[in-house]
Amino acid sequence: MQQFWQNLSVISTEHFLILGVVLFAIGVFGVFLRRNALITLMSIELILNAANLTLLAFARAQQDMRGQALALLVIAVAAAEAAIGLAIVVGVFRNRHNTNLDDLTLLRY
Amino acid sequence: MMGLGSVSSSLLLLGQAAQVQQVPAASLSVQGMAPAWAFWILSVLTVVGALSTILRRNLIGAVMSMVATFFGIASLYALLSAHFLAAIQVLVYAGAIMVLFVFVIMVLNREEAEPWALRSPVIKALGTGSLVYLAVRLGEMLLSPKAGVLQTAGHPSGEYGTVASIGDYFFTKFLFPFEAISILLVIAVIGAVVLARTVAKPTSVHEAGAAPLPSSNGDGDDAAADASHGGH
Amino acid sequence: MTENFPLYLIIVLPLLGAALNLLFGRRMGNSAVSLIACGAVASAALVATKAVYSLATHDLPPNGMLIDQLMAGDWIIAGDLKLAAGLMLDHLNSVLVLIVTWVALLIHLYATGYMEHEPDYARFFGYLNLFTGAMLILVLGDSLPVTFVGWEGVGLASYLLIGFWHQEDKNASAGRKAFIVNRVGDFGFLLGLCILYTVIGTLKYSEIGSHLFELRLPFWLNWPAGYWVAILLFVGCMGKSAQIPLYVWLPDAMAGPTPVSALIHAATMVTAGVYVVARTHFLFDMTPAAAQMTVAGIGAVTALFAATIGIVQRDFKKVLAYSTVSQLGFMFVGVGTGAYSAGMFHLMTHAFFKAGLFLGAGSVMHAMGGEGDITKMGGLGKHMPITRWTFFIYCLAIAGIFPFAGFFSKDAILAGAFASRFTMAENAPHWAKSLIDLYPYVLWGMLVLAAACTAFYMWRLYFMVFTGKFRGTHEQEHHLHESPAEMTVPLIVLAVGSVLAGFIGVPEIMAHAFPESVAHTLTFFTDWLSPAVVPMSPEPHSHSVEWGLMALALGVSAAGIGLAAKLYRGGISQTAVDMKEKFSSLYRLLWNKYWVDELYDLIIVRPLKVLSRVLWQAVDVVMIDGGLTKVGPAVVGFFGSVTRRIQNGDVQRYLIFVVVGAASVLFFSTWWLPHKGTMGKTTVEKRRVTLDLGEGKVKAGRLRFRVDWEGKGEWEQSGFTTLFHDYPNSGTYNIRVEAQDSQWGFTSSNSFPVKVE
Repeated sequence: MQQFWQNLSVISTEHFLILGVVLFAIGVFGVFLRRNALITLMSIELILNAANLTLLAFARAQQDMRGQALALLVIAVAAAEAAIGLAIVVGVFRNRHNTNLDDLTLLRY
Repeated sequence: MMGLGSVSSSLLLLGQAAQVQQVPAASLSVQGMAPAWAFWILSVLTVVGALSTILRRNLIGAVMSMVATFFGIASLYALLSAHFLAAIQVLVYAGAIMVLFVFVIMVLNREEAEPWALRSPVIKALGTGSLVYLAVRLGEMLLSPKAGVLQTAGHPSGEYGTVASIGDYFFTKFLFPFEAISILLVIAVIGAVVLARTVAKPTSVHEAGAAPLPSSNGDGDDAAADASHGGH
Repeated sequence: MTENFPLYLIIVLPLLGAALNLLFGRRMGNSAVSLIACGAVASAALVATKAVYSLATHDLPPNGMLIDQLMAGDWIIAGDLKLAAGLMLDHLNSVLVLIVTWVALLIHLYATGYMEHEPDYARFFGYLNLFTGAMLILVLGDSLPVTFVGWEGVGLASYLLIGFWHQEDKNASAGRKAFIVNRVGDFGFLLGLCILYTVIGTLKYSEIGSHLFELRLPFWLNWPAGYWVAILLFVGCMGKSAQIPLYVWLPDAMAGPTPVSALIHAATMVTAGVYVVARTHFLFDMTPAAAQMTVAGIGAVTALFAATIGIVQRDFKKVLAYSTVSQLGFMFVGVGTGAYSAGMFHLMTHAFFKAGLFLGAGSVMHAMGGEGDITKMGGLGKHMPITRWTFFIYCLAIAGIFPFAGFFSKDAILAGAFASRFTMAENAPHWAKSLIDLYPYVLWGMLVLAAACTAFYMWRLYFMVFTGKFRGTHEQEHHLHESPAEMTVPLIVLAVGSVLAGFIGVPEIMAHAFPESVAHTLTFFTDWLSPAVVPMSPEPHSHSVEWGLMALALGVSAAGIGLAAKLYRGGISQTAVDMKEKFSSLYRLLWNKYWVDELYDLIIVRPLKVLSRVLWQAVDVVMIDGGLTKVGPAVVGFFGSVTRRIQNGDVQRYLIFVVVGAASVLFFSTWWLPHKGTMGKTTVEKRRVTLDLGEGKVKAGRLRFRVDWEGKGEWEQSGFTTLFHDYPNSGTYNIRVEAQDSQWGFTSSNSFPVKVE
């Protein structure tokens, strides 16, 4: 028991990595399983954040600032992508008056 | 639900991680002030927030959960000595992007009929299975006894994670990506405006629900762009 | 030995003129076009003259030459073959270069008048210059491939010019016929070229002579290689120089404009074959004399054959065409009997009077408004005096009347044929050996007969056209006029040439009579050529025989002229008509040209057409088109219709596939190797068990193995894929194996039950 609490009090890089994997998995589930386009976009942001987290964990482990710089760039890109994505959603909504991804099946045979 | 499954597996992994952690060689002693329990609380907060984002029916509820997730993540960034990034995370993500989402949700004022995508059970099973496998395998890989990569130097040096050192990087070695990102953001702004603007000729007198305000998107964009230009 | 000279100019200038006229001629206007075209040829002629002058006056040995290259560096580099596009000028082709350039110049000038009203003026002169350039490449080339480039080039130009008025089917067909028949010959030429390269490894003229030993070795069917190359090259010459059996294109080629017939089919292109034989004479000079006999024989037969056809022709140009074929036969007899200078001499004189004859024909047809049927002409002499009198001179020359040019050249050939001697191979049958002695006389006889026919039909032509009463329509009669100066001046120049050209090739026995300095000039031609082509020394015969032969030839020609005069002077006499009736079947045979064209059509053309149709309809349309447009799409469509169902437009589904894919990749890349590592087989030998793991697919060091041999939990670690263990006790054991990937850390396990004695 003591050992358990002992173990819990030492946080290593692996902990952050596992957390990143978990968040990533949750985000991917969100993209798969929700019908609403907006939720999908939010899940994508979640995925990006998970990746950022992993990136920063490794940067910390290596004492390398480049990881942080890269993470900053990722945030900027994510912002741009969110803007565009939302603009598209708005455009789609105007035509169809709903945001169901199930209905957006034009890219088919 | 799937979410619970993944949560339980992740907890299992964390347990395993704890077990392997007999050797305290790769320890991450955060700078004195933040004890280990901070990590656990924040990670729980983050995971719960994420789960609730994807599971809630109410759109605004989902957005709020997302904001909570982002706060959690920002705090975790701080734990990782990425202070500047934590601030940016809050400003950009929680502050600008989520606001943007809220605006759009206000515009698209619809209620969800059935939140879950219709899909054949086969596909769902396949997807879930692969995802779980992927996650487990990745975790296993990360936990495998390999020396070197995950060793830390213990206490990070004073310069690590400060605004000064990030600035130093961005204005010397990362100058080109920095400028390129600015251009990217400009393009995004223009793109968003173009994509979301009203078409010139209306087909009928009523355009149900269509009261788009390109300017609102533009404002949101500008805010987002300005925020990330904050380090400019 | 050799000296450099910018010979390339001679070729490049006409080609440049061709390019300018073909590309910009339309916009430049007729006078600019003529200036460029004639100017190009004139400058080439001047350069050529300067070159020959240098050759003559510089301190070069008799077999020396001027050399140049058409492009810097090597032209062909293929395997062991390194060939430069070289040019050379020696005593042999200096003759031809001068003939080609100056006669071409005269004909260009003539054509400026003849083609005055032609809408496609620029195109014509462009092609004409192109031809000139190509012919010069042929003549100046220093190796067979370079000559072949010119060879093909003149074939192309000939095709373009014969079919110049291609809007009419007849003309286009004639052009095609010329090209295709030529192609047959070219095939032989190329084969000969290839064999030559295979045997001696070089294709330059100057180097053939030093490889005679290899050429004498038997190559195929026990005949020497030199013989085969000679025969195959001669096949090419048969095509280009219109000998039997490849002469059929030349009469049809008269469909082209008359300056074309004059230049190409009288003076220059058709003589290319004679030139090539003379140039590669080493190949023909080899004994046994089979190659020479073939050449001479075909030449003689062709000469007689064509001459007989010419007797009954009614189209002005067709008469001249058959005359050309016949005279070419003469030239081939000349080079075939070893009398190379005689052949080349006749080539030169023939260029003068045959070109003149054609230009005169053009002048007449010009006046007759394009009419070519001589039965509709008559009495034109009083309307066109210059044309008439120059034509008179040409006819005297071609009939071989002393002292005009044709006399000396024809006589040289006849003398050469009479005096030639052929030897056969050692193992030839006896009857052949006895007959071989008759061969020269047979040749000579055929040539004499051909000469008689030549004199006859040429003067028949003259009398029917220029004497007697006019037999055409009234309006044609009004139109009759002498041609403008651009056309008559070349006629006069060529007439002068026909008179004087003979005087540089006077035979020894005549030249003797004159003082030394004059005699030198008189025998200039033979002296000039002798270093380049050493003639086979014919058996010298007595002077009286020579004089006798000359007299005989003269008499035969005179008789021919007399007969023609009797039958046709002043119009078509009744006797002529009666004779036609009396020998009607013979007449029909000659009128139908021995039905050779029909024969070719039956044997060659029709089967080819049938084959083409079959190949087109059955193979091309059904199999290839059908296969490609139906079978292919059907298969692809089928597979497509199956696989496209994956894409139902649902993007989220696609994303799931992405994740599934990523997971699979991860799975296989990390699982496969350890899994393979735990597969293997066991070999039991008494108490020793050998375990071979990995099935050969595992690289050493990549996997770490742990083996529990006896099931007791004692693990042996190893990096090797082959492990063994000696069991202390017998029994059944379960060997457990674990393989771990040292890179990724994944483990796989397996067990092998084994029984030990």
